[in-house]
Amino acid sequence: MGYRIGVDIGGTFTDFCVLDEASLALRTLKVLSRPDAPGEEVLHGLAEIERRFGIAPAEVSYFTHGSTVGVNAIIQGRGAKLCLLATAGFRDVLELARLKIPDPYDLFSRRPEPLVPRERVLEVRERMNPDGSTDIAPERASVLAALARAEALGAEGIVIGLLHSYANPAHEQAVKAMILAERPGLPVFCSAEIWPIVREYERSITACIHGSVQPRVAHYITRLEAALAARGVPVAPMVTKSNGGVMTAAAGKLRSIEMLLSGTASGAIGAGFVARQAGFARVMSLDVGGTSADVALLRDGMPDFRTGELVGDYPVFLPTVSVSSIGAGGGSIATVDDLGVLRVGPDSAGSVPGPACYGRGGAQATLTDAFAVKGVLGAGELGYGAVRIDAVAAATAMAVVGEALGRDTAAAAEAVVALAVANMYREVSRLFSQVGEEPSLYALLAFGGAGPMLGCLLAEEMGMRAVIVPRTPGVLAALGGLLADLRSDFVRVVFLDVAAANMVALQAAFGELAGEARAWLADSQGHAGDGVLSVAADLRYRGQSYEIEVALEPDWITQARPERIAAAFHARHAEIYGHADERAAVHLVALRVVIAGVTAKPDFPPEPAPPGDPVPARHVPVAHRGTVVRAALFDRAALPPGSRFAGPAVVAQDDTTTWVPPGFAGHVDPYGNLILVRS
Amino acid sequence: MTASLDPVTLQILKSHFEAAAESMAYTLLRTAHSAFVKETEDFTSGLTTPCGQTFASPKDLGATWFVGLDYAGVIGAIDSYRPGDICITNDPYSGYVCTHAPDMHLWMPVFAGERLMCFAVGHIHNTDMGGAVPASLSRALTEVHQEGIRIPPCKLVDGGVMDEKLLAVMLRNVRMPEQNWGDLKAQIASLKTAERKMHEAIARFGADMVHAGMYGVLDLAERQARRLFASIDDGEYGFSDYIDEDSPGGVPCRLKLTIRVRGEEAEFDFSGSDPQLQSALNMPTGGLPRHILPLVGYNYVVYSLDPTVALNCGLSRPVRCILPEGSVVNPVHPAATGMRSLTCTRIQGIVIGAFSRALPGRLPAGPAGGGGILNVRTTDARTGRLAMASINPITGGGGGAANGDGQDGSNSFLKNTPVEITEAEVPIRVLSYGLQPDSGGPGLHRGGLGTQMTFQVFTPNSVVTARNRDRVRFSSWGAAGGLAGATCGFTRNPGTANAEDLGNTDVVRCAPGDVLTISASGAGGWGDPFERPVEAVLRDVAQGKVSEAGARAYGVAIAGGVLDQAATEALRAAPRPAPQAITLDPARIAFERVWSEAAWDRLSELLFALPVEWRFFMKHQTFAQVAQDAAAEADPVAAIERGFAAAAAPYPQLAVRQGEAA
Repeated sequence: MGYRIGVDIGGTFTDFCVLDEASLALRTLKVLSRPDAPGEEVLHGLAEIERRFGIAPAEVSYFTHGSTVGVNAIIQGRGAKLCLLATAGFRDVLELARLKIPDPYDLFSRRPEPLVPRERVLEVRERMNPDGSTDIAPERASVLAALARAEALGAEGIVIGLLHSYANPAHEQAVKAMILAERPGLPVFCSAEIWPIVREYERSITACIHGSVQPRVAHYITRLEAALAARGVPVAPMVTKSNGGVMTAAAGKLRSIEMLLSGTASGAIGAGFVARQAGFARVMSLDVGGTSADVALLRDGMPDFRTGELVGDYPVFLPTVSVSSIGAGGGSIATVDDLGVLRVGPDSAGSVPGPACYGRGGAQATLTDAFAVKGVLGAGELGYGAVRIDAVAAATAMAVVGEALGRDTAAAAEAVVALAVANMYREVSRLFSQVGEEPSLYALLAFGGAGPMLGCLLAEEMGMRAVIVPRTPGVLAALGGLLADLRSDFVRVVFLDVAAANMVALQAAFGELAGEARAWLADSQGHAGDGVLSVAADLRYRGQSYEIEVALEPDWITQARPERIAAAFHARHAEIYGHADERAAVHLVALRVVIAGVTAKPDFPPEPAPPGDPVPARHVPVAHRGTVVRAALFDRAALPPGSRFAGPAVVAQDDTTTWVPPGFAGHVDPYGNLILVRS
Repeated sequence: MTASLDPVTLQILKSHFEAAAESMAYTLLRTAHSAFVKETEDFTSGLTTPCGQTFASPKDLGATWFVGLDYAGVIGAIDSYRPGDICITNDPYSGYVCTHAPDMHLWMPVFAGERLMCFAVGHIHNTDMGGAVPASLSRALTEVHQEGIRIPPCKLVDGGVMDEKLLAVMLRNVRMPEQNWGDLKAQIASLKTAERKMHEAIARFGADMVHAGMYGVLDLAERQARRLFASIDDGEYGFSDYIDEDSPGGVPCRLKLTIRVRGEEAEFDFSGSDPQLQSALNMPTGGLPRHILPLVGYNYVVYSLDPTVALNCGLSRPVRCILPEGSVVNPVHPAATGMRSLTCTRIQGIVIGAFSRALPGRLPAGPAGGGGILNVRTTDARTGRLAMASINPITGGGGGAANGDGQDGSNSFLKNTPVEITEAEVPIRVLSYGLQPDSGGPGLHRGGLGTQMTFQVFTPNSVVTARNRDRVRFSSWGAAGGLAGATCGFTRNPGTANAEDLGNTDVVRCAPGDVLTISASGAGGWGDPFERPVEAVLRDVAQGKVSEAGARAYGVAIAGGVLDQAATEALRAAPRPAPQAITLDPARIAFERVWSEAAWDRLSELLFALPVEWRFFMKHQTFAQVAQDAAAEADPVAAIERGFAAAAAPYPQLAVRQGEAA
C-alpha cells in the first residue's frame, strides 16, 4: 500500500491528484507550471505534497504524468531539424498537404508553413507498387546523395516517407539501413514504423511530427526519471497518451508521438470515470480553462476516438481521444467594434497577463471578469490561493465594454456571458449534428477552472437537464491519468474485399497485429495479465472514398465469418449515416487492434446519506438576467453527500467556482459529485 | 411586428442562426451518399427570410460561392406554403436560383404557428442529372436541354406528402438514380434539422425577436458593406480578362467589369462582356441586379478586407449589377450553362482586379487557375473491371499580397486525392505530383506556384477528362509592380518524339502507355520583384520553387546555388520599365495589340445590335476576318469594323434582322 500520484501539466497550472491506496482518500494540489524549466513543477509539486500532506516520495507506489514538452516543441517551432526523404517525384507531399486552404473566403488565407521546409525534403529513387511489390528498388546512390545533402543542411534527424510503405515497409527499411550503415546513431524514422496508414501526407506528417519531438521528449523523460529516482521515488514513472491510456516512460521515449495530446485525453478519461460513478450513460464533458474550452462526448464513460487531431498547426493521425475546442476559455477577451458589435474571443488574455481581475496586468475585459462583475467569482478563493479576484479591476475593464455598448457595467458583464454561451451553443450544436446525436439526452459534466461557472448556462441553452460537477473539477485530467489503463493501438492496411476468399489473408494480418499487441503489453510494458484485445476495421463500400471504423468480434476473423463483418458494417453505416446498401461489396481498408492492460482502479465507496439542508456560509448578490439575485454561497468542503439546495447559489472550492442559476436544484451524490438539475 | 432588438441580442441570435445553418450542413454531409457532397463538399445550406434573402450560412462547410443567394425568384413561383411543404428546382432558367442543372435546390417554409418565419434552403451538386453526357457537364454542349432533366419550381413534398410521380420522372431520367435519391433524402433531413433548430430559437426568444434578428443580421452586413464603399474614393474602376477559348477550339471570351463607386454604394457594370456563347460557359443570372454569381468575388473581397463581416445577403444591398441580356453573364434560354463555373471563377478574379484599382496595393494579385478537375475512365488490366475515378483537381496558387507570398499550390476549398488511394483504386501510375517551379509571378511577394501531375495509363480506350481547363494562353496578372504568373500546360508523352500539346482540350482518349502531364497556371506576383530581398530569392532557389534562370526576373544572379553579388547589383541597377499597378501577361499584351479595349468595345457594340442568335456566329466570323487583316494593328477599331462588315456581307437577311433588333 502506498500513494498513487497523477500529474497533469497545463499552460498555467500543474495539477496533482494523490490517491491513498489504503483509505482511498483523494488529495489534490495545483502549482504554477514552469514552461521555462519543464519538470521543475513536478519536483516542486512532490515537495509540496510532502510538506502539506506528509507523503514522502518513498511512499509513492505509482506515478503517471502527462508532459507538454512535445506539444510545446511543435507550437514553438523548436523541434529537431529534420530532413524528409520522399519518393522521387513527390517531394511536395508536405507542401501540398490536402490542398484546402484554412479559410476559403479569405483571399489572404495561407496554410501553415510545412513542418519540414521544401529544401529539406530530398528525393530518393525507388518505387513500390500499391500491392507492396517492388517496381524500382531503392537506389543506393540516390540515398547517399540525399544523406550527404541532409548533412550539409545540418539535419539532426531523418524521416523516411516513401509511397506505399503501408503495404510493405521494405523500401523504407532498406533506405534506413543504408543511412545507418554510413551514420550509425543518426536518428532515422520510417513512416511505416511510426504509423503504417495509407495516404502519403497523413503518414508522412505523423512521422515528421514524431521525428521532430522525439529527441526532446526522450531527453526530458530521461532527466525526469533521474530526478524522481534522486528524490527517492521508488517506481518507474508512467506517461499518459493521446489515446487515453498510459505507457511506461521508457516506451514514451521511443513513441513520443503518442503522448502529444494526452492532456485533453486524460481529462476525458477522468470525466468518463466520474460519469460512470454518478450513473449517467450519456455525458458531454465541458472543460474550460484560462485559454481553452473543450468538449467530449462520452457514452458509458467511453470517449470517441478520432484521427487527424491538431498538434499546433499539424495533424497527427494516430487514434486520439476526440476532444473538440469550442472557444478560448475564461480568458476570452470582449471587444466592441465601431459598428457597436460585441465580440467575445477568439483572442484570449491567456494566463499572462490573464483576466483583469487576476491583477497580473491584464487590462482588457474577459469572460472571467464578467463573472467577477456579476458577483459569481471573488466570494471564495481560487487556485489554492494562487489567484485573488480583484473585482474592482474587473469592473474597471468591463466599464469600457459597457460604455461602448451603452450599458452599465453589470449589464455589459451579462452581455459578455450571454454571448460567450451563445458562441459555445453554436459550436456544440455543430458537434452534435456531426455525430447525429440529440443533445437533450445528454448530461453536462463541467470541469476545469471555469467549466462549472458556465455549465448550467450552456446546459440550459442546449436543452440538457442535468449538470455534474465532480468533486475535484480542477484536477480531472490528473485523476484521468491516474486511472488510465495501459493502452496501445496497432494498424495494418490490407485493402481486401470482405469475402470468403480473402479470409486467410485477413487472419494472417490479424495474427500479426494481435502478436504485436500482446508483445507490447507483456514485453514493453511488463504487464502480467493477458490484457483486453479489441478489434476493429476501417470499412467502406467499394468505390467510396472514406472509411468508417467498425468494431469486430475476433471470432469473425478467426472463424472466417465475412458475412458477420459485412453485416456489422451495414449496421454501423446505417447508424452513422442513416442508410446502408446491403447488396454492395464491402471493402476492408485497414485492420485495427487495441490492447488494454487494465490498471488497478480505486473503488471509491459510496457514502449514502440522508437528504440534508446545508447552511450557506453567507448570501451574495449576483447580477442575473437584468436583476440582482440573492445567491447562497456554499463552501464545497461543507457540502457532504446528501446535501440539497436550490439555485441561485454559488459553490466555491479551491480549484473552481460553480454558478447555480435560479431554476436549478442541486444535490450531492454519494460520491461527492454535485448534481444540478434543471426544473 | 418587428420587436426592437439590441445589438447584443442580435449577436446571440446570429449565433443561433449560424448554429442552425451549420447543423444543416453537418447533417447533409453526414447522411449524403455521393462523393460530390461528402468529399468535394459541393453543397450549400442556409436560412432565408420569407422573401428569400439568405441571412445565415455555414462558415466553413460546403461551397463558398453561394453565401447570400437570393431565393426570391423560386419562392415566388409557388402559390402558397403550408407546414410540411418542401419545394424543388434545378432549372437554371426558373427564378435564377439554380445556376446549372446538376444543382438541385430545395426550400422549405418554417412556421411559428400560422406565421411563416423563414425558409430553410440548400442545394447539392448531383453527380448526374441525365442529358447528353455522363455527369451532365461538357463545355461542348450548346443548349440547356442537353444538360439533363429540368424540374421547374414545384412542391416535392406537399403538406408532408411526397409527390411520388415527380420523383419517379426525375429518377427515371438520370444515370445514377439511387445516388440522387440518397442525396435528396439527405437534403430533406438537413432541412428538417433547420426547422427543429429554428423552432428551438423561436421557443427560446419568441417569434418577434427571431423575426427582428433575421432582418437585423442582414442590416448589419449591409452597414459593414457600406462602410467599405465609403472608404473608397468615388470613381470608375475597370478590369477585364479572358477565357482562352469561348468554345472547344474557339476564340477568346472577354469578360469586362466597370465598378462605379458613389458614396456608400456601387454599380457593377458588366457591359462589354461577350455575347452568350455556343458552349456551356454561360452564366445564368436573369440580369438580377444582386445575383450571386457575379458577386462571389465581391464577397471574398469584402470578407478579406474585414473578416468580421456577416456573410449574408445584406452584403450585396449597396451593389447593383448591370448584366446585359443575351451576354455570357445573362444568357437567354436555351443557352447551355453547365460549365458556368469557369466563367464565374474568372469573374471572381476580375472583381479582385477592379477592387485593386480602387484600393491600390490592398488586394492580392491575380489568382491561379485553369488546371481543371481530372477524371479518368480506364480498365483494370488484371481484373478487366472498369474503373472510373476523380484523380485530382489540378490547382494553382494564390496571388502574392501585401502581407506575403501567395499560397503555393492551392487557393480554394478543393481537396486532393492521395496518390496512394488513386493508385490503389485506379490502374494508373502517378509519376510525379507537386509544385511547378517558376510558375508563380515574380514580385516583392511572389505569386503562388501552380501544381503539376504526370501519370501513365496502361489500357486501350482509357479516357481522361479535365473539366474547366483554361489559362493555357493568357495568365494571371501581377499587382503593385508584381509580374504575371505563368500559363499552364497539358501534354501527351512529353519529352518524346511524339509529344502532343493538348492545350485546353478537356477530353483525351489515350493509348496504352500514354503519359500525360497536366499543370495549373501560377498566380500573379505583388510588388516590385527587384525589391524582393535577395535572401528570399536565394531561399526560393534553394527550395526549388524558383530556378536560377527564374531568379533573373528578380534581378538576382545565382549560379550553382551561389549568389553572384556583382551581377545581381548590375541586374538591379539596369534600366527597366517602371512598375505598374497592374501588369498583364506577355501573351495578352501581344493579343491586345489588335484586340485592344477599344476594339473589343466596338465589336461588342456591333454584336449586341444583332439578334441574340447571330452574335456568337458573327463574333467568330469577325475574328476570322481580322486574323486575315495585315493592317489590323495600325488601327484596331477600324480593322474590327472592316472585319465585321466583310463578315456580314454574305448575309443580307442579317440587315433585316439587325433593323428589327434596333
